[in-house]
Amino acid sequence: MRVLVLIKADKDSEAGVLPDEKLLAEMTKYNEELVQAGVMLAAEGLHPSSKGARVRFAGGKTSVIDGPFAETKELIAGFWMWQVKSMEEAVEWVRRCPSPEGAQVGEIEIRQVFEMEEFGPALTPELRAQEERQRAQAEKLSKAARR
Amino acid sequence: MRFMMLMIPEGYEKAAPGTIPDAKAVAAMMKYNEALQKAGVLLALDGLHPPSMGARVSFPGGKPRVTDGPFTEAKEVVGGYWMIQVRSKEEAIEWASRCPGSDTEVIEIRQVQEMSDFPADVQEAAAGLLELQAQTGRRKGA
Repeated sequence: MRVLVLIKADKDSEAGVLPDEKLLAEMTKYNEELVQAGVMLAAEGLHPSSKGARVRFAGGKTSVIDGPFAETKELIAGFWMWQVKSMEEAVEWVRRCPSPEGAQVGEIEIRQVFEMEEFGPALTPELRAQEERQRAQAEKLSKAARR
Repeated sequence: MRFMMLMIPEGYEKAAPGTIPDAKAVAAMMKYNEALQKAGVLLALDGLHPPSMGARVSFPGGKPRVTDGPFTEAKEVVGGYWMIQVRSKEEAIEWASRCPGSDTEVIEIRQVQEMSDFPADVQEAAAGLLELQAQTGRRKGA
């Protein structure tokens, strides 16, 4: 199964404060362990919400609001995508995540990812084939996009 | 530039385990996904099971503390995401606006950090990361 592991924002991440050398080194080591274990599928950081926006859909009209957004605790600063055997395995990995010394309590949220099989009859054979094609193309593009 | 489009469906924080989107919504979303893919901007996309099937880990005093979902006090939770590659934030906003979202849905657009966004010393310290990302692949299923 796949899990999306969301690193919640805090005032530092929202202020664009970068991790110090020590934490960066610990994180790199942790990420390396995830790769070696065959768990790591993706890892990305997000720029603060001040560089973002939100789109609302109300009565058929869209409206756009620029960041930053107030609910810091609900915001996301980064994420991993992992391949694991169970939620328990995912939790065990998250327990081992390096956390900044003296920082506000950082929070990590683990969410199970929908696999095609789980959509049931809503995913017709045609849609399923379409989805497979989309993913294959997206993966190719994704590999090329990293720099 | 890469952007995440995070789908935030109102009320998803209360969704029971095993909640599945209805067929009409799935079909409409698949048409949108197809448009993203045909335009060559789609890098990745996924739906997420509700938080009632998830967990949160906090680190008070540096020690991990695990809480199983649901998280009743949460006001906004992510229901799914797309990662797209476009030329600007404006273009990302345009794409998000084309999503067949409902009145109770919000899409948050966030720019993905690239190694080149960081100062030289940080790039050096995180030098392993690009290679690490290159080594990973996407696998399906259990």
